[in-house]
Amino acid sequence: MITRPMIAAVLAATAAAASAAAGPLQVTSSILVESRAAAADGTTRIALVKPSKVTPGDKVIFVLAYRNTGTQPLSNVVLDNPLPRQIAYRSANPGSPAPDVSVDGKTFGSLATLRVRSLDGSTRPASPNDVTSVRWRLASPLAAGSQGQFAFQAVLK
Amino acid sequence: MYAKGVIRTLMAGTAAVVSLGIATNTASAQAPGPAGTAAGTSVTNTAQASYSVNGVQQSATSNTTSFVVDRKVNLTVIANQPNNTQVAIGQTAAVTTFKVTNNTNGTQDFLLSSSQTPITNLFTGDNFDVTNIHIYVDSNGNGTYDAGTDTVTYINELGADQSAVVFIVADIPNNQANALAGITLIAQVAAGGDTAAQGLPLAASVAPNDDAVVDVVFADNDSDGLGGDVALNGQGRASLGYEITTRNVALSVAKSQLVLNDPVNLALSPKAIPGAVVQYCLIVNNGTVGTPASNVVLTDVIPANTTYVTNSLSIGAIALGNTCLLTGIVGGVPLADDGSVTVPVLNYTGSFNTNTKTVNATIPVLLGGTSVAATFRVTIN
Repeated sequence: MITRPMIAAVLAATAAAASAAAGPLQVTSSILVESRAAAADGTTRIALVKPSKVTPGDKVIFVLAYRNTGTQPLSNVVLDNPLPRQIAYRSANPGSPAPDVSVDGKTFGSLATLRVRSLDGSTRPASPNDVTSVRWRLASPLAAGSQGQFAFQAVLK
Repeated sequence: MYAKGVIRTLMAGTAAVVSLGIATNTASAQAPGPAGTAAGTSVTNTAQASYSVNGVQQSATSNTTSFVVDRKVNLTVIANQPNNTQVAIGQTAAVTTFKVTNNTNGTQDFLLSSSQTPITNLFTGDNFDVTNIHIYVDSNGNGTYDAGTDTVTYINELGADQSAVVFIVADIPNNQANALAGITLIAQVAAGGDTAAQGLPLAASVAPNDDAVVDVVFADNDSDGLGGDVALNGQGRASLGYEITTRNVALSVAKSQLVLNDPVNLALSPKAIPGAVVQYCLIVNNGTVGTPASNVVLTDVIPANTTYVTNSLSIGAIALGNTCLLTGIVGGVPLADDGSVTVPVLNYTGSFNTNTKTVNATIPVLLGGTSVAATFRVTIN
């Protein structure tokens, strides 16, 4: 059995480098990796830790934490994370809503709705490896003082 | 730092009506090879946000977070020839060929060494060691060992997913009992970066990690599964054999003669007078027990003042010591002078050349410790 600690608890320790953005919406990006350790009860506990030892093929988890530090609600909030080119998208992290994804940075949707044009002009369904950007939209305004986070899993190419 | 906030529900599905996103596959041109993103690369992430406050559109940028890609050390060593190297007793500078591939996500040196420790189950019959071993890299890239040209003894600055051909050059001792020598090439991943000298062997990082430092992570497997190599040690190995296929045997030929009859005494105590028939007996012996001799060819020019008796050549006569035991045409299988007869199974052949007055007999395989006799007759002029 695998238990998964709440990401937010880990973030509290790792988000010390939160940006000092001037606007009311504060967005903090973190990159984490899973660390598996055997727990006393025989289960495997997965902790998210700093990406200290990462080699090609390893899974990395990108976390976007957002917070309204202002006094007014923020509407139409969109978080957009272009992927570093060394990173291949895999899926939303368990517990996080799935992002809309894009293979061209312009058109966003679920992966199943996207297609990739091959060199010979034909198109094929997009795969997670084709994703170049992920995006989340908040459906309702973000009240003053409230916060949340999104996360997705990826691998280092 | 903060209390857990409410995760907002998404406007799920709202993008379903947009047209297909079409991207061409040009991104693959920049994709790293199988070894992956190069060690030392800094992977940097920044998110963008947009929102509106009281109808005014605004944007925000997250902090920039990054990590450094660590060195995933892996290599592949294979034999680069389909079979063992076939050699002769006493041969010098016999070559076995290997190929080393750098599967590390970075440019590395490779240190080369060899081992002749017999590997269980790999070389049955390994009964000798080669000597004067040298290991050279194929400097000119032609895949063939060139003495004096291929002189570098370590692989220098091999890029990720690149391969180098390596030669082991060794001498075969002059010992007739030699049969097979297994030899193993061992490649050790070493630090790259110095184009003029070989780097130090890499060691796995054991210290607590630092995001900003390129750690060394061994990812190589157990390349032989036979106990010679172990996984995750930055080493790879492959084995080949030097196989003795050509060796000298103690081959000897004895020739004897016997007068069969003469015109006066006929077969009763015949004398070597004109008109007498003389049978020559050639006995070839392979004195090296256990080693067959291949393609033994007997040639004999008939003596002056004699005339070859047509179709008198026979082969396979029973021989004891240097004497053909049986005489006459029962002393073996008769052969035709034109070479058209082949002895079944043994494939002995023979012929007589009337121009050169030469008797030929060929024995494809002469087993060690055995003899084969051939006879022919002449008349004295």
